[in-house]
Amino acid sequence: MPTRREFMFALGAGAGLVVGRRVDAQQGAGIPGATMSGDGYVPVRRPPKPGATSKLTDLERDALERRISCPCPCTLDIFTCRTSMPCGFSPRMHADVVSLVNGGYTADEILAAFEQGYGEKVLMAPRAEGFNWVGWLAPFAAVGGGAVVVAALIRRWGRRAAEHRATSPVPIEASDDELARLEAAVRGEDR
Amino acid sequence: MILIGELSLWVALLMATWSATVSFAGGRMGRADLAASGERANYATFAFVVLSSIGLWSALLSSDFSLRYVASYTSANLPAVYKFAAFWGGQQGSMLFWCLILSFYSAIALYANRRRNRELMPYVTGTLAIVQVFFLATTAFGANPYARLDWIPPDGTGLNPQLQNPGMATHPPMLYLGYVATAIPFAFAIAALISRRLDAEWLGAVRRWSLVSWLFLTVGITLGMWWAYVELGWGGYWAWDPVENASLLPWLTGTAFLHSIMIQEKRGMLRKWNVTLVVTTFLLSILGTFITRSGVIESVHSFAQSPVGSWFASFLVVAIAATAYLVTTRLKDLEARAELESMVSREAAFLYNNVVLVGIAFSVLWGTLFPIISEAVRGSKITVGPPFFNTVNIPLGLLLLALTGIGPLIAWRRASVANLKRQFASPVAGGLLLGAAFFALGMRDPYALVSYTLAGFVATTITQEFVKGVGARRRMHSESVPLAFVRLIARNRRRYGGYIVHLGVVVLFAAFAGLAFKKEYDLALAPGGSFTAVDPYNRTWTFTSQGVSRYEELNRQVTAVVLEAKQGSRPPTLIKSEKRQHVDSRGMPTFEPSTEVGILESLRQDVYLVLHGVSGEETAEVRISFNPLVWWVWYGGLIMAIGGLIVMWPQATRQGASRAEGGYVVALQPTRTEREPAEAGV
Repeated sequence: MPTRREFMFALGAGAGLVVGRRVDAQQGAGIPGATMSGDGYVPVRRPPKPGATSKLTDLERDALERRISCPCPCTLDIFTCRTSMPCGFSPRMHADVVSLVNGGYTADEILAAFEQGYGEKVLMAPRAEGFNWVGWLAPFAAVGGGAVVVAALIRRWGRRAAEHRATSPVPIEASDDELARLEAAVRGEDR
Repeated sequence: MILIGELSLWVALLMATWSATVSFAGGRMGRADLAASGERANYATFAFVVLSSIGLWSALLSSDFSLRYVASYTSANLPAVYKFAAFWGGQQGSMLFWCLILSFYSAIALYANRRRNRELMPYVTGTLAIVQVFFLATTAFGANPYARLDWIPPDGTGLNPQLQNPGMATHPPMLYLGYVATAIPFAFAIAALISRRLDAEWLGAVRRWSLVSWLFLTVGITLGMWWAYVELGWGGYWAWDPVENASLLPWLTGTAFLHSIMIQEKRGMLRKWNVTLVVTTFLLSILGTFITRSGVIESVHSFAQSPVGSWFASFLVVAIAATAYLVTTRLKDLEARAELESMVSREAAFLYNNVVLVGIAFSVLWGTLFPIISEAVRGSKITVGPPFFNTVNIPLGLLLLALTGIGPLIAWRRASVANLKRQFASPVAGGLLLGAAFFALGMRDPYALVSYTLAGFVATTITQEFVKGVGARRRMHSESVPLAFVRLIARNRRRYGGYIVHLGVVVLFAAFAGLAFKKEYDLALAPGGSFTAVDPYNRTWTFTSQGVSRYEELNRQVTAVVLEAKQGSRPPTLIKSEKRQHVDSRGMPTFEPSTEVGILESLRQDVYLVLHGVSGEETAEVRISFNPLVWWVWYGGLIMAIGGLIVMWPQATRQGASRAEGGYVVALQPTRTEREPAEAGV
């Protein structure tokens, strides 16, 4: 058990770490890209591919728009934003998506084009690469780790229970069968 | 009245400060007179917060635009109900609302324990008073709703149109009632830690408050989903927005606590874990409030960035430090002789349930905070939205659903193979049959198939438990089926109320899975124009435009489209969707236009109409969606709330029935070292 002095020391060290690394709020940050218009909208345009035909159905295009984040404060994807609370961005970004789809670009190419224009933040979920793996895997690691810890605890408690039964001063004088019947009877009565 | 309200806020702050000081002094010095003074000061705090709230309500209802808050969130032509609800519509008012609920809860908790838990109460009072001091000081200094304007505008800005919905009157209060209720268990936990009275006493006192919190959060979250669905127009009810996530976090850890508390009651185990869960649940409520109000994380719900965020961050740091200190210095007092006979036991199932619940809470918190972490580590911004949360949480949610069915089937202490076979046979068969039936009907979505299979498994588990229970009562008491059913629940509310909550969970999961089959159509319809669409059940619908109309209504200018919807031989029905431009009392636009969706509801599916805009004179650009099983989301929430109420409802004390649920456990364990009453203080 830590002493008060040890605890205060640890607390001070933790607070120092927190203060030392200032984390800026996300709000108000600029979007990379020199072609940005005054309001933060970045035109994402590409010339149509030769003999271009759309590679996506309308539903696939909608699904693609659900993977692109709207830069307005709604925090929604551009599909959801433009169909529910349209802002100055999502209709224009939708037009860019439609133009790229009609230009023969695939979903991955369109996502890459938007990422080039707006930065990684435009994707509704981080790409599974590099440090982002920490983000993707930490929840599963936490649950898996928790399950392992619980399993280990149960094993330890099980051993303790077995030792306790062996040294129990008041053994239950009943066979397993009798205990099972007793339990069933009490369960029945309980209900 | 405004002056009285403002003065009352300051007096309440003084009262709470006095209450905190003398309560802790009374506890520390063993002075009952000081402790009593602290309690009286706490009641006085409540009275003054009520006065202050009346002051603000009176200013809102009388449109006193000399107050910045009233001018910012109301207008003269705002309907009275929304003027009333504007109390919690903005930063400052909602802070005062939080103070109101906290002081109300505190007064109830102190009154309910006026003759019980007397050793704990000075510290309970003191802890609650400290939380009150924080909220009142933040309100008075950082977000004062009584701040005046230098001039009095002729009209106010009005309430955001999306807040002008019945949900505004119900959803925020329910959530606040849930959030704030976590303060009471927290205060009891802190009191138990300070006084080192970590036996069953404090636990008994907090269980019902944890249920109150859980119940209100359940209702609040469900109402929030409903509000988002009917108001925002995107056809969904959960967007994994940081503020939505913030409401889910304490609900998850609170649910984990309500399960793990049973193990402490029955076996005296998990003392450290339960204290940790109680404290964590409260801290997550504060964290959620910080997220909502600081602007650190972008959210569609967020209040404007304000200094309140730094107040909350400071309080959070101090609260975490204080509780960490108390827990780490009391570890020895929290030691318990833990024994568990088998990995295949009800206790073990509860533990795994806790791992999954807390794991989901972690994943939600992690996803919410990961943009900040990523920016701090890599310096580049990322977005963590629904694709991440769905990928991570759907498997965990399905695991939780499976455990919901597995737990009740396993006996306490140790389950024999024969017992397991007997218990699992019907539920497994039920689940597989349902899954196979859906597969045969053409369902191929893997998550939906797993979801319905597990839903069938859990539903059969619950049915089996009720059938067995009713059957036993009929044999023993010769009761009719309905009477046996009612008495079964009434005599064992915790157990069977819990099963009803589980039934609500099953209904929710089934409804969530239904959205996988949603169908949407974008179209433009001139007056008289028709469109034929096929719904997820392969039925054909015809929609015919009745034209676009424009009119004024209350405080808004409305553009509406009406479609006639016809399916099969059923009589046609009209659906209307609107674009609303809200205006002030001089007819000037106040906000961006908002959408009012039209919904044709049924248990099977909703036909959901959204007017995007009007091109030319009367060509309506609309989206029609078929959203399967949405109403079951609301019913699932309702069933969970009913189950929660049954669990919470006081059980009449009957001779020899105090351990109705765990009686046989006691009979099989005569050498128990610690015995705690299952219903203590409940």
